[in-house]
Amino acid sequence: MLKSVVRSVGAAVRLSSATTSTARALPLSCPMLRSLSPAVTRPFTRSLWMLNSNSSGYRPKLFSSKVLSPSVSCGCGGLHTEGDKAFGDFLSDEIKEEKKIQKSKTLPKMSGGWELEMNGTEAKLSRSVSGEKITVTFNINNSIPPNFEEEVEQGQQKPAEEESEIVSTPNFVVEVTKQAAKHSLVFDCHFPEDEMSHGEGEEESDIFAIREVSFQPEGDTEWKETCYTLNTDSLDWALYDHMMDFLADRGVDNTFADELMELSTAIEHQEYIKFLEDLQGFVKCN
Amino acid sequence: TSFAVERTNRQHTPQDSCNYSSSSKVVPLRRARLRKDVDTLRHILGIQKFDLGVICVDNQRIQQINSIYRKKNLPTDVLSFPFYEDLRPGKLPCPLHRDELNLGDIFLGVEFVMNQCREESLDLHGALTVVTAHGICHLLGYRHETEEEWTEMLQRESYILSEYNRLTGRHLEPLMKRCSQDR
Repeated sequence: MLKSVVRSVGAAVRLSSATTSTARALPLSCPMLRSLSPAVTRPFTRSLWMLNSNSSGYRPKLFSSKVLSPSVSCGCGGLHTEGDKAFGDFLSDEIKEEKKIQKSKTLPKMSGGWELEMNGTEAKLSRSVSGEKITVTFNINNSIPPNFEEEVEQGQQKPAEEESEIVSTPNFVVEVTKQAAKHSLVFDCHFPEDEMSHGEGEEESDIFAIREVSFQPEGDTEWKETCYTLNTDSLDWALYDHMMDFLADRGVDNTFADELMELSTAIEHQEYIKFLEDLQGFVKCN
Repeated sequence: TSFAVERTNRQHTPQDSCNYSSSSKVVPLRRARLRKDVDTLRHILGIQKFDLGVICVDNQRIQQINSIYRKKNLPTDVLSFPFYEDLRPGKLPCPLHRDELNLGDIFLGVEFVMNQCREESLDLHGALTVVTAHGICHLLGYRHETEEEWTEMLQRESYILSEYNRLTGRHLEPLMKRCSQDR
């Protein structure tokens, strides 16, 4: 069976070569070639040539990779390929390295008496101040700013000790609820990207900014689009300052924002390592 | 007034620390109050049409700026950076273009002032207003390098603060101890 495949592939290769040669100027003394159809794109030709080649050296195989012998099967019924093995080995190393650079196995504590609840990748910090309930919610998914990833892609080669750390700067929502109130005052906050240049140039601004403010029904998890939402882009500075003071009085200030970044970074790193471990487990054996 | 609370106004306390309100390093600055007071000072001096930058920084940052620009490696209460460098004291500039409607920037060492207030049982925001008045006087050409200059500047500050007290009902006085700049 294999021999016949090779023969037909070989023929395809020869035909392909002939076809290709007709794309260039043809000698008029070659009637046979003149009668062939014009060159067409054969994107898989290179793969066929490789399959047919007997030369030394590793060549990628067209029809997937070698499947490991069923005699070493773990009995899970899943596919185990050489690629999977290499993947699993790579993940082992990666997990070891990530654990080495992990700052701590436990999450940093927030000052100010905030209680932390986790629901997957979503974190919720809560505290009470004189009967008011304040919650701060954020999600660590997509919380690493793209600027960091762009710097890596642009191939900026820095010595290892100078490489900047990955920092998680999630958007966060502050909800302030007074006792027996139907609505909560909700602040959608973020870490402005242009202020995240740690140690570079002069940093003369708040760590975080309020983007939108709205009254939302108390207890609802979804943002209600029909409630008026104030955007702070072109807001009077005095009003903005009052809002920042309002938050600061309830423990949400630059210090809090700094600590939130550290907490989010630690959670994100934890989740990343856990994901790698789950991935390793899945690749090895489902 | 362009107004910023610099990111380095932060707390560095151990993980098991007390809550933020009793932390020794967090400065309980309320920006709306400071903005309002600065606007009152601007009204008194008749400089509302001019831009003015007020940047609140901690000891580390003010010390760094003090070291760079005055070669004094110490924290201080205020550093002023005038837009117009050769104004006659008290004479308002007459800019030809809108871009020149700017008096400059004032860096407030809020942590330094907070520590001073704790030692002397003074109100933080009152002290910041006094220090800001001093900084604005520098932006308007006042100096205190000679005895004569000092007297002139002190008189101006006293006038500003007496007007402020009249408008607000507060009782601010010029700070007698000054660690501010020479300019």
